[in-house]
Amino acid sequence: MGNSELEQLISLQDLDLMIEESQEVEKLGFSITGCSELRIAREELAAKISKPLLFRYERLRKKLKRAIVPVKNDICLGCFLHQPTAIGAQAREGVDLFTCENCGRMLYWLD
Amino acid sequence: MQRHELRGHLREALFIPSMKATTKDQALEELLDLFVAERYVRNKQLVLEMLRQREMLGSTSLGKGVAVPHGRTTATADVIIAFGRSEKGVHFDASDEKPVTLFFMVIAPHNDEGNIYLPILGSLVTILKDTKKRNALNKVTTFAELVALIDGE
Ligand SMILES: [Zn+2]
Repeated sequence: MGNSELEQLISLQDLDLMIEESQEVEKLGFSITGCSELRIAREELAAKISKPLLFRYERLRKKLKRAIVPVKNDICLGCFLHQPTAIGAQAREGVDLFTCENCGRMLYWLD
Repeated sequence: MQRHELRGHLREALFIPSMKATTKDQALEELLDLFVAERYVRNKQLVLEMLRQREMLGSTSLGKGVAVPHGRTTATADVIIAFGRSEKGVHFDASDEKPVTLFFMVIAPHNDEGNIYLPILGSLVTILKDTKKRNALNKVTTFAELVALIDGE
C-alpha cells in the first residue's frame, strides 16, 4: 500500500461527492454539462485501484458516508479520536494505510 | 437564499490583485498555490486534479468575466476562499466566452462544520451577479478594499 494508492482513493472519494453534489451546485447557478464525462473518469480511476481496497472503500462509504477522513493535529476528523503520534510519523511516509480504531475510517494525515 | 458570512473565510495571504496566469490551468494553479503556501492544502497535485475534474463537469465561470472555481476535497480541513484579479482576463470556457478577470476559489472539506460550503458558493454567486459589485471588484488593489466590498451590502 503506497501513498499513491491512498491518493487515488482520495481522488475517487472527491469525485464521488462531486457527482453527488452536482445538482445542488447547478441550483446555485453553475452550468453543469459534463456529468457523463465525469462518470467515465470516475470508472477509469476506480479500475486502477485494487479490488479489495475498492471494496473496502465502497463498504465504508455506504456505512459511514466518508471512507477516508483527514487527520489534523493527530485527531481523526471523522470521529475526533486522538491518534497515536507514532502512527502519524509512519503514515506520512506512506508505507502503510492506517485506520481509525474508533470509527473504522481510513486516515489521511494533513500535516 | 440566505446570505452567508464570507469575511471569516477570506485570508489576506490568499489575495492576488494582479494575477500572472494567461490560461485556465495556470489560473487554477496560481490560486491553488496560495492554499499550499499557507498550508491549507498539503498535496497540491491531489487538489489540482479535483479542480480540473470540476471544470470537466462544467466551467465554473458564471459569465460576465467572473469565475468561482470550487470543490470539496478530503485533503483539507477548512473552508477557505482565495481571491484573484486578472487585468487582461483569462479564457475560462465561459458560456459567454468573456475572459475572466475576477476569481474566487473556494476549497472545502467533505464534512464542513455547519454545512456552510454550499451557502458560501451561493452568496458569492449573488454578489457577482451585481454589476456595481463586479465593477468595484475589478478595481480592487488591497485586501481591505476586498473585505469592505464583500462585507458592505
Ligand atoms: Zn475516527
